This record gives sequence, C-alpha cells and structure tokens, in this order.
Amino acid sequence: MSNKSTLKMTGTLLLASTMILSACNNGNSNQTVKANTEPAATEGASNAVPAAEKPTGTLKVQLVGDFSLEDKTDPISGKTSKGVKVLKEEFEKQYPDTSVEFVLMGWDNYNEKTQTMLQSGAADVYQVPGITTFVEQGLLEPLQPYIDKDSYDLGKYLNGQVEGWKVMGPDDQEPQIYGLPFIGDARVIVYDRQLFDDWGVDYLSESPTIEEVLDKASKMTGKNPKTGEQNYGLTFKGSDAADSVMNINESLGGQWGTGFLWKDMKLEFNSDTMVQALDLMKDAIKYAPEGVMAGQGAENFLTEKNNIAINLRESPGFINNLANLGLEDRYEAALLFKNQKTGMGGMFAGSPFAIGASSSNKDLAWEWLKFSGSEFFQQYMWEEQRSQSMPVIKAAENWSSVQEIRQMDTIVKQMGQLWTPRYPYRSGQPRYILSENVERVLLGELSSADALKKAQEEATKWLAGQQ
Amino acid sequence: MSDHMTKATTLGVLDRKLLRNRNKIIRRQPTLAWYLFLLPTLIGIAVFMIYPLAESLRLSFTKGADEHYVGLENYASVLESGTFWYSVYNTLYITVFQLLIAIPVGFIIACLINNLRRGANFFKVLFYLPNVTSIVAAATVFLAVLHPDGPLNYVLQLLGFEKIVWLSQPLSAKWGAIILSVWHWLGFVIIINLANLQAISSDYYEAASIDGASRFRQWQYITLPNMLGSLTVLFIIGWIGGLQRFSDAYMLGGLQGSPARSLHTVVGFIFERGFGGNEYGLASAASYILFFFILVFTYINTKVTKMKI
Repeated sequence: MSNKSTLKMTGTLLLASTMILSACNNGNSNQTVKANTEPAATEGASNAVPAAEKPTGTLKVQLVGDFSLEDKTDPISGKTSKGVKVLKEEFEKQYPDTSVEFVLMGWDNYNEKTQTMLQSGAADVYQVPGITTFVEQGLLEPLQPYIDKDSYDLGKYLNGQVEGWKVMGPDDQEPQIYGLPFIGDARVIVYDRQLFDDWGVDYLSESPTIEEVLDKASKMTGKNPKTGEQNYGLTFKGSDAADSVMNINESLGGQWGTGFLWKDMKLEFNSDTMVQALDLMKDAIKYAPEGVMAGQGAENFLTEKNNIAINLRESPGFINNLANLGLEDRYEAALLFKNQKTGMGGMFAGSPFAIGASSSNKDLAWEWLKFSGSEFFQQYMWEEQRSQSMPVIKAAENWSSVQEIRQMDTIVKQMGQLWTPRYPYRSGQPRYILSENVERVLLGELSSADALKKAQEEATKWLAGQQ
Repeated sequence: MSDHMTKATTLGVLDRKLLRNRNKIIRRQPTLAWYLFLLPTLIGIAVFMIYPLAESLRLSFTKGADEHYVGLENYASVLESGTFWYSVYNTLYITVFQLLIAIPVGFIIACLINNLRRGANFFKVLFYLPNVTSIVAAATVFLAVLHPDGPLNYVLQLLGFEKIVWLSQPLSAKWGAIILSVWHWLGFVIIINLANLQAISSDYYEAASIDGASRFRQWQYITLPNMLGSLTVLFIIGWIGGLQRFSDAYMLGGLQGSPARSLHTVVGFIFERGFGGNEYGLASAASYILFFFILVFTYINTKVTKMKI
C-alpha cells in the first residue's frame, strides 16, 4: 500500500469514527428541550389559563406497560383501542407550543431501564411503580412545592391513592409526595357464582373474613354434585402466598411492622397474628389444586370450564376476561380481608407519574402530571387501556361506563381501603425472606412459628446491615 | 546481492541503513491501517466489556444508593449467606445431572445416527431443533409439559407410575429443570459428537476389521479415544453454561426460584439482589464470586481432562 493511499484510508477511517461516535452521543446537545423561563400555569390543565403563561417546549414522557402510540387491536377481544397519541394530541392542544414525545417500554426490567433513563436525564416524566428506590437516590422531584403553588386539589383522587405513593427522600423526615397516581390497581377476591349455586353454598359477603372463605371453600372441594367433576374450594398464586398471609394478618389486627426507611424499620413477621395467619393459609392449601404452589391448576378460572370456587387474589383486569367471554354474570368480586377497626386491608398497587430531578422542563412536566389526573386522561385510560388500568379519581364513580360493570363497585371500594404507604419492606430482601419461609410452611417443611421466627431473624439481620 | 552493496564503505552502510528504515516504515504502515480497522471493535470492547467489568468491580466494594465504600463487606455477606450457598447447590445439582445425562445420551445417539445409511440428516435436524429454540420459549412449553395434568405425567401414568406435581415440590422442580435442560442441550451434544465421529478416518475401522476386531471393540478402541477431545469440550462448555444458568430456572421458578428457592441459581441470586432489591454492590460482589468459581472449575476441569487450551 502506498503512502498516499494509507493516508487516505486513515483519514477516511478517522472521519467515519468521528461520525459514528458523534451519532452515539445522545446527550443534551441533541435534545430540543427549551429551557423554560416562563411562569407555571396556575390552573392546571384548564384552558382558562392564558396561553402565554403556559410552559412550552418538548416534553418526554416515559410509559411502562402495554402502551402503543398508534391504535391497536386486541387479538382476543378484537377490540381496537386508541394509542397514546390521543393524550399527546390533547395535551398539545391544551398547551400550544409544546410537543410530547413518548418513550414506551414493556414491563421487563422496567426498574433498571427507568434507573438508567433517570441517571441520563432521558425523559421529563416517568411512570414509577418502583418509586421508593428512585426517591432514595434523589432522582425524583418533590411535588409539594408544585402542589402548593397551584393549590392543586388532591381531593379529586380516590381515598388513599395519593398517600399510597408517598415516599421518603434522603433528607425527608416523613413520607412525602413524589408521584401522583394515574394507574389504579388492587387485588380482590373473585368467586364463581355458578359453583356456589351447584354446591348450594351462599355467596361470599361483600367483605368476607378468612374464616368465611375457608368454611365455604371446604364445602366446595370435591366432586361437584351437579356436574360430577372435581372442584376445588379456592386457589391463589403460590409465589404471592406471603401477600395473602400479610392480608390475613391485617384482618386479624396485625401489621407488617413500622417505619419507612430501612434504618427505622421494625418488622413484625413473627407476631402472634402472623403465625395465626400462616396457619390459616396452611388450612387454605387443603382446598386448592395440587399445582397451586407453582401457579398451576387454576388455568380455567374465569372461563366457562372453571372448577375453582374462589380466587384469593385476582387483579382488576379480570373484568376484561369476563367481558371477552360473556361471563359478566357468572363471577363476582369481594373485598380483600380487612381489619374491622381500621377498615384497611390489602397491598397498595398501581403506577404514579413523577418528574425526573434531571428534567430540564419541570414546569411542563408538572402540567403533564396534572393532566394525568384530569377526567379526559382518566377516561382515556379507562376506555382504551382498561386491561392495565383502573381509574384513580373519584369522578370515575359517576361514569356510566363504570357503573354498568357490577364488579367495579367492589374494585373501587377495594382501591380505597388499601394499606398505605405501600408495604415498604417489599422493596428489599425482607420481602423475599418472608416469601421463602411462607412457601416452606406451605410445603410442609417448617411449622408456621419456626418459619416466621426464622424470617424475622434473617430480615432483621439484613435490616441491621443496611444501617 | 551485488558486490557494491556488500562493500563496507561508509556510503554503503548509510545506504543500507536508510533502506532498512524505509522498509521498516513500509512494513509498519499496513499494520497501522489494520489497527485502525480494529479500532471500532476495540472501542466497543472497551465501552461494553472492560468498562462494565471495572465498574462492577468498583460497585462490589460499595453499598447503598450513595455507593459508599464498604471494603470487602459485600463479599463477606455473599459468602455468609445461606441463600447464596443454596443457590450454588441448586446450580451444581442441576448442572451435574444435566451433564451426566446429556453427554452420554448425546454421544450414544450421535453414534447411532452416524451409523445410519438413510435418514441421518432428518435425525440431525430433529435432535438439533430444541437447541435452536429460545430457552425462554422452551421453558414456557415445559410449564405445560410439567403440568400436573400435562403430557409427561400422562406418560408416567401410562407406564404405571404415580402422578408427580413437578413444579410444586423442591426435588421434583429441580428434576423438571434438569429434564428441560437436557432436552434443550441434547441436540448440541449430538451435533458436536457427530462432527467428531465423521472426522475419524475410516482407515482405522477398515484396518481393525481386517484384523478381526468386533464392532464393539472398534467402538471401544477407535471411536472412544478419538472422541475424548469433543467430549472434554462439551464437558467444559456444559460446566460454564451450567454455572451461568438463569433463564430456564427463572422461567420455571420465577424470581425467587420457587418453590422454596429450589430453583434459585447463582445468577438468580445476583438478579434478585441486584434488580429485585437494588443491592447492586452485593450483586456485583456475587458476580465476581461466580466469575471466580467458573475460573476455578474450568481450571480443574482442564487439568482433570488434560485439555490444552
């Protein structure tokens, strides 16, 4: 190779490398976000606010779940749902001179992806079901100043929905608001009325006790008197058994423990009520299909061929299954076990929106948060994204589309009685330690008292290591 | 070489020196160009391999969201953890039985296929198909195969055995994972063995036949010794892959390797602590411990099998 051609080659390669590397650089230089120097809107998403006062610029919103920008058709129901471009168009209409860009991702490893995005400032608004971790690291913006500035009415949300997402940042003394709810979720007890009829057993009460469930489940385990097929009284997801045990514990007057940060946390895994609750769960497994610990044997629940009377934990999406199969009248929902004194019971769930501390357009991001609590946004979620979202605002209770689904009354009530703030022990090892030991009891390897004593010791030791 | 070039005149020495230098530069130029071609790959390795490795090492000495330095505490925590050692036991248990079953069975099937006059390609494809399948998809299918009312139990019951609730009990769940891994890996073992079998010269067999050696003796004294290389490779690859086992156990047993952590593997431990609890420091320490395990096992394996790498 001659000197000249080598030089040419070297130059070309260097140029190409520079281009490749500059293409890789997706830093702030590529962002079109305008630094917002204008005052924030004072009336939320209301059109009454003069356009000139509204923040402008590009807003990047991250969404986790089964979202798509364009319309899509559900392969089971055949129903076409509108994509999130509906939200983009409405927001851009309400906030002229803005542009919304979505970063859509699935549920797989969403926490790790969100963490990366937050650290690199890849979006302004984030959907953060795992909010605790991000707030601990100071990656999210506290919302109280924005709420105060706009006198934003938190009373519009269903009972407990805002409290459920409260968490503690590095400098907080009490849990604070870092996220506003936009997706509601809860677990409910669901039962098959046809099997109850077949066995001549009274339906579950609206808010049953564990004793009532066990009593009725025991009556419906065996050969169905009408069909002759094997029936089971109840089912639950084996890997979620610890959550059911905690729910029973709450109904018996116990609690998971106290504190929020690891350093302040005191667990009550081996309390008398926990031992009692686990013993009751051990009774429950007698009425469940053989594969229940592996999540097997209940595949036909919510279908025509069902052979299980009660499911202890079902997500609200079951109403979609019923609608798809035309079984709305066959299945009914009941509230999770609750503490009769406090009226609370069940693990808080759902998704909030939060503003990234690294966002360069926080005022506009705040407008999006308010927009997510509007009836327009919530109705879109309810109408088009029902499989992954329940409404979080009180106004939803009056929507005819909510009222016409019988089970929604229970679901909305359940969302209003969830234990808040979320069980904070579930953000780390105590959750897995408790789960493992509950499983060992249900497999017959340990007694409830021994397993919970072990769980308490291991989890307390782990907590001590977090100081 | 001409005479005037070999003369030891001052001018001649200088000329030769210049010539040597010029040749050296010419020789170097293409080398530099090749390094430039390699540059994108080298940058890729630096950014996506060396940096994460170094960062993971740094993280392994830190704790918490503020990443404060804790020295060897994470390593001590991992090595003191009963869950970690149980995950090591699970990993070794599944891997040992996977290798003990898949390698001999794969070898025998390869020998049988190799002797086929017709349909060899059909069987090669048939056995290799599972290996092409994503382990995640395969595990999903096995959730149905291992169902209490699934096909495996159906066959067992036809043979007069009792129904096994495979994934609901710790021991049977581990065997469920072993069956899946053997099914998935068998095709690879067969293909490697077949490649080696076909590379053995037919002259050996012809000579042995002339000498009157039986088919079994030929297999014992010709086939087996010639197969040791690929069997060793399979053994070592299997060990390394087995120690890194995650997807199949995760699909069958979930994040915690249920029931009762019976399917919790070392990588599962790393995943749970890292992504399930945000203990990135501890997870990094566990990753380095796993790396050390693999290093030691591979070293021992190469020594035992006298493999030259």
